[in-house]
Amino acid sequence: MNSVEGLLTQIRGLSSTASDVLSLQNVLKQADESLHAESTRLLPFLDQLDPSKHSLGYLYFLEACTAGPVTTESASSFVLIIARFISSCVAEQIRLAPDKFISVCKRFKDQVLLLEEPLRGVAPMLTAVRKLQSSTEHLTTLHPEFLLLCLLAKCYKTGLSILEEDIFEVDQPRDLYLYCYYGGMICIGQKCFRKALELLHNVVTAPMSTINAIAVEAYKKYILVSLIHHGQLSTSLPKYASGVAQRNLKSLCLSYMELANSYNNGKIADLETYVQANMEKFGSDNNLGLVKQVVSSIYKRNIQRLTQTYLTLSLQDIANTVQLNRPKEAEMHVLQMIQDGEIYATINQKDGMVRFVEDPELYKTCEMIEHIDLSIQRLMTLSNKLTVMDELISCDPLYLGKAGRERQRFDFDDFDSVPQRFNI
Amino acid sequence: MASSSSSGLTFKLHPLVIVNISDHYTRVKSQLSLPPSLTSTSSAATSNNNNNNSNGGENNQNPPPRVYGCVIGVQRGRTVEIFNSFELIYDPSTRSLDRSFLEKKQELYKKVFPHFYVLGWYSTGSDAQESDMHFHKALMDINESPLYVLLNPAINPAQKDLPVTIYESELHVIDGVPQLIFVRSSYLIETVEAERISVDHVAHLKPSGGSAATQLAAQLTGIHSAIKMLNSRIRVLHQYLVGMQKGDIPCESSVLRQVSSLLRRLPAIESEKFQDDFLMEYNDTLLITYLAMFTNCSSTMNELVDKFNTTYDRHSRRGGRTAFI
Repeated sequence: MNSVEGLLTQIRGLSSTASDVLSLQNVLKQADESLHAESTRLLPFLDQLDPSKHSLGYLYFLEACTAGPVTTESASSFVLIIARFISSCVAEQIRLAPDKFISVCKRFKDQVLLLEEPLRGVAPMLTAVRKLQSSTEHLTTLHPEFLLLCLLAKCYKTGLSILEEDIFEVDQPRDLYLYCYYGGMICIGQKCFRKALELLHNVVTAPMSTINAIAVEAYKKYILVSLIHHGQLSTSLPKYASGVAQRNLKSLCLSYMELANSYNNGKIADLETYVQANMEKFGSDNNLGLVKQVVSSIYKRNIQRLTQTYLTLSLQDIANTVQLNRPKEAEMHVLQMIQDGEIYATINQKDGMVRFVEDPELYKTCEMIEHIDLSIQRLMTLSNKLTVMDELISCDPLYLGKAGRERQRFDFDDFDSVPQRFNI
Repeated sequence: MASSSSSGLTFKLHPLVIVNISDHYTRVKSQLSLPPSLTSTSSAATSNNNNNNSNGGENNQNPPPRVYGCVIGVQRGRTVEIFNSFELIYDPSTRSLDRSFLEKKQELYKKVFPHFYVLGWYSTGSDAQESDMHFHKALMDINESPLYVLLNPAINPAQKDLPVTIYESELHVIDGVPQLIFVRSSYLIETVEAERISVDHVAHLKPSGGSAATQLAAQLTGIHSAIKMLNSRIRVLHQYLVGMQKGDIPCESSVLRQVSSLLRRLPAIESEKFQDDFLMEYNDTLLITYLAMFTNCSSTMNELVDKFNTTYDRHSRRGGRTAFI
């Protein structure tokens, strides 16, 4: 116990300035083993430390405390302690020991889930994410944990706020996959299919050396969301998808590809029979809700196809073409689509005719100017970042070695102009 | 030495003279100091702002050289118009002026411009000095009251006016001794059409010569600065008019007439249709810019992806051939 007491006084003494905190960190690293050895008896000592001033020391103690197995009773007390710690800790001190912070937060999440109250964990986890990330463009390991809690607690809006930010730096690839996958699910829950598609696309095309389960699940959802949102699925992955993904993903999601095929044919009856046949398969992947949305979206797709052929059409004809039962249903569908902005049309109720019109946006307003201006600014920053990355990779010896090897050589003259091996 | 002149003469200076003086100075300076890191100096005339700084690593120990020459022109009544100038050889240490050279030059110029005669002389420096008086007196046998045009070659970015001053000599009694001292006079700049065109050309000269991008940028910058200046001048007028309305400034009908004629020349369309068309065109331009940015960004992204695939894809295309041997 003496060592613990000594450690406590050191923590209290060395927590004021940045240089002190660094030396404190060294002390704590060395004392880490002894702390873990006494993990069960450390709880009362936590009261002697103030999390807002002695964040680093508190973190080490807390991490040692929570290292052991967790029971339901201790879980509730720990949850309170950790939540209070997260809200009052100092971000700079925390960032000195990020892995400890991450493990504490992960245990927090486990305990919250054990208590079956994910809602309690959402707000503290959000604070934790904000304190850990060095900038809003940085993806930490806590992001997917936070999104998981949001999903389980069904508070999608909080999750959406985090998803709005652009990410440029990632700690671990697994973080990216999980973040985009959970993010896609949250967006599906909020019915922002465009953003969901973007996020799932990120998972599917992310660089990966071997196929992983997250990517497979994400690809299944990607197919479904693509059908709902775009009405079609592009059959090949873009060239920036990893080779592994391009070769293996389709074979692992065969039933979904079949679904996409029958969707493209446009016959609703076929689609429904197919869905019925494979109900358990979709159910086991927890995708039943999405599949049902796919089926209902086929009507929309067919109506949209009609806009390309006809200028005016009666509601009865629409109902017949789209295989709906009554013109009233057709009118409801068309009205819904007009409201969502998916088609531009006017319904004449007197004679039951629908007239399809062009996009009425004239691009003459000042709001449009501001909108375009903002987009141009964003694109410029993105372009700068891309140029920087391009330059970085051009100087990468790995790239230069491979690019050099692939050069064609025809005669002795340009034989040694490209180095094959770099010794740096 | 400078109180203002009381001779009542109006001086008109042509830009050619200024350009000549600055060219002379630049040439002499670049020929004198020849450091090894000499980058290509533009001995051609620089813009009106007299950027005489031509050398790269100029050694600051040597004081900048002074150049001398004559200015020629016409005097009609009370107006003295200085049209041209030529260089002279003068050694300030020995105070010897090469007379024969001066006379030969005078003859040559007389043949080409029969109406012009020597009005005075020029030199460079920051201020008129005592030693200049000797040169001045030496010229007095050609012109009984010569002018002294002084150009300050130091570049001062804060300075808005031309660093050119014209001095006359007057006989003042100082401490009981009648002495000739320099007094400053004001002057106007007068341009002939040819001069205006060449000055305009020089002002728009950009060193890199000109891919399309820099030319476009140069043109747009020119338009932008012109519009900015127009805007600031109109603001000044506006303030003046407001002051007149409030009664702070006395009402002057002639100025008001000029302002109203100027304002009638300004475009002042405020109609609905103009707004519509203007916004639509603005939007179109923005959209094209957006498209250009997109294309640029996509091409960078494409290259990046290619490089990434080459680097990290294990089973990448083995398209290239191996060594020839």
